[in-house]
Amino acid sequence: MSYNELVKNFNRIRDYMREFYVYGFKSRDEYTKKSARSYDDERRRLESWLGDYMQFRRTPDGKNVFISIDSRQSRHNPLYKAWKTKSFTDGDITLHFILFDILSDEDKSLSINEIMEELDDYLGQFENPRYFDVSTVRKKLKEYTEAGIIITEKKGKTAYYKRNKMSEPVNCDILDFFSEVSPCGVVGSFLLDKIDSHEENFLFKHHYITSAMDSEVLCLLLMAMQEKCSIDLDILTRKKEVFTENDVVPLKIMISAQSGRQYLMAYVPRFKRITSYRLDNIVSVKTCSVNNERKITESENTDYDILQEKLKGMLPHIWGVSTQGSSGERMEHVEFTIRYAEYEQYIPRRMEREKRCGTLEYLEGNKIRFSADVYDAEELVPWIRTFICRITDISFSDKKLEEKFKNDIMKMYALYGLEGGGENGIQ
Amino acid sequence: MVFSELYSAYYNTVAKIITEAIKHPLSDNELQTIIEKHAFSESMLNIIPAFKEERWQLLKPDGKTTIKNVPTMPLTTLQKRWLKAIFMDKRIKLFTDKTLDFTDVEPLFKPEDIIVFDKYADGDPFSDEVYIKNFRLTLDAIKKRYPLDIETTSRNGEAVHIILMPEYLEYSEKDDKFRLTGSGEKFGSTVNLSRIISVKTYNESFDAEHAKKTPLRERTVIFELVDKRNALERVLLHFAHFKKQAEKLDDERYRITVSYDKDDEMEIVIRILSFGPMIRVTAPQHFIELIKKRLINQKSCEL
Repeated sequence: MSYNELVKNFNRIRDYMREFYVYGFKSRDEYTKKSARSYDDERRRLESWLGDYMQFRRTPDGKNVFISIDSRQSRHNPLYKAWKTKSFTDGDITLHFILFDILSDEDKSLSINEIMEELDDYLGQFENPRYFDVSTVRKKLKEYTEAGIIITEKKGKTAYYKRNKMSEPVNCDILDFFSEVSPCGVVGSFLLDKIDSHEENFLFKHHYITSAMDSEVLCLLLMAMQEKCSIDLDILTRKKEVFTENDVVPLKIMISAQSGRQYLMAYVPRFKRITSYRLDNIVSVKTCSVNNERKITESENTDYDILQEKLKGMLPHIWGVSTQGSSGERMEHVEFTIRYAEYEQYIPRRMEREKRCGTLEYLEGNKIRFSADVYDAEELVPWIRTFICRITDISFSDKKLEEKFKNDIMKMYALYGLEGGGENGIQ
Repeated sequence: MVFSELYSAYYNTVAKIITEAIKHPLSDNELQTIIEKHAFSESMLNIIPAFKEERWQLLKPDGKTTIKNVPTMPLTTLQKRWLKAIFMDKRIKLFTDKTLDFTDVEPLFKPEDIIVFDKYADGDPFSDEVYIKNFRLTLDAIKKRYPLDIETTSRNGEAVHIILMPEYLEYSEKDDKFRLTGSGEKFGSTVNLSRIISVKTYNESFDAEHAKKTPLRERTVIFELVDKRNALERVLLHFAHFKKQAEKLDDERYRITVSYDKDDEMEIVIRILSFGPMIRVTAPQHFIELIKKRLINQKSCEL
């Protein structure tokens, strides 16, 4: 098939964007999963959509392509552009604009026959008029009714079609801000596309834009959560194989502002427990109601609410998203003490604002002890390391983890040539 | 769903083309200009032939359109559901007191469906009336370009007066805070919105043309890592929002260069420390010294 700037399937481009944006060091030869032709096409598409954000570097292994974006300097997420590239047929676009012109008046309601007649008037003005059969037009109107832009009303046995009412435009500051910070912000970007260019007054710090690539998955999960229905997930494993997890009950979306990762917290019947899935590893989501047109029963509703309550009770013991540690114990204990100088009052303030659970004890001599009972104490390790230079005491109930923490510090001494270290290499 | 041609750059571009063609027949140059502005760099190669070959029967070869009305499209259910959801966000009050009247749809999500689990606990008071008033005046001043007289609290807790031409508001999801950046007669400033005691329009003369901005002081740090236990992905995702470059040194070793603003240097030091022995800073020397100093202090703790 010849090259087309637009794409039918988002998942392939999702993979490439992640490779180019997050990694960006692979040469053409390393994209072995796909053919060289496929690589060239996807690279060309991304160049066309992202323009100057696409950069190149020559290395001994060949030319590396990467996406370089300083998200603090971009007022809008450039990766949203990928969501505006869905392919369509010549008939789709022709029909779209003519149908909405025929139904331009909000009060005008027409039967399919009346629409077909008017359609012919439009097409008849061309030298070789296109021909649309009734079923194609009816299918398109059904699709638009499902999207909410056309309203179908039955009068007797005849269906009448009219456009849905136009809404008041939303303030562009609201769209500028929430399209960047809200889940599924790409929808806000779609709304911004309809507004004339304007001054944009917001910038964003610590702004992770990669989540844009998971918008469709997130959207389907949120819809399933509103309907309280279970879903089947296709999930990518570390070995890049896809497996299906059936009848998962989606409960919450957990987002990390410090890594940009998004997770689904869900009850999994196979494990009989609540666990987390990274959204960027979810390939597809199939919801029961969409597949089966099934309404949720009262008992399922109760079950769903019970699971929500269960998760709510667990949250004070979840540091990140993990609900099970490597020790095998249901709950793990962690505590550590830090010291600070009298003039370093920002340290206790930092502790207060950064601790997500657990308790702080203010000890004599400008010391603070943090302690918590969590499902997975290993999740706290990166945070505890940020206090390196002032940790005077640390204890994990999982003694292997404690030993590893202390060994890691010794390895860091060695990495920077400070005596007392162990192995002299990066881990 | 999200990936739909209804939201595509092509549909939007064609809507703009028709809007102009309703006013007057479009020349090829005018057609090109609209496509360049609203679509992608290679879109011209698709859109122009589609019209010329009458595959898209909306514009005739003479540049006239058969469409009679300026193209508009009602909001999709997805758009309404998203808007309804963001109007439940507490930060919406910063922008408007209005509510949305989409009775025909459910919100796409409710505030309790989403947890940002690692944002800091001392975020801005978005529901506070004084904060909302200050935010709105600040935003208005940015849009209309007038200076502000701001009384704020310094880091040391002292009240400080600043005259500032506001330029933009910066929001950090991690800090859950807004900061105002602006230019001043002597130097540029950044003010935490939650620290503002009072703000009013500055009515005295202000030389906006010669006002000084805060210069960007870009620094870089270079570090190496060995890709064990998914280290590469974790590190690259963590630093994804910076301008950065990754190079493969051999089968397992990688070199990463990250650019950051000098004001954020301590934050970068801490973030690098959080990866433990997974990464080693190799340049610049002063950054290595910052890490070493912390490690030396840690040794003195005798853990």
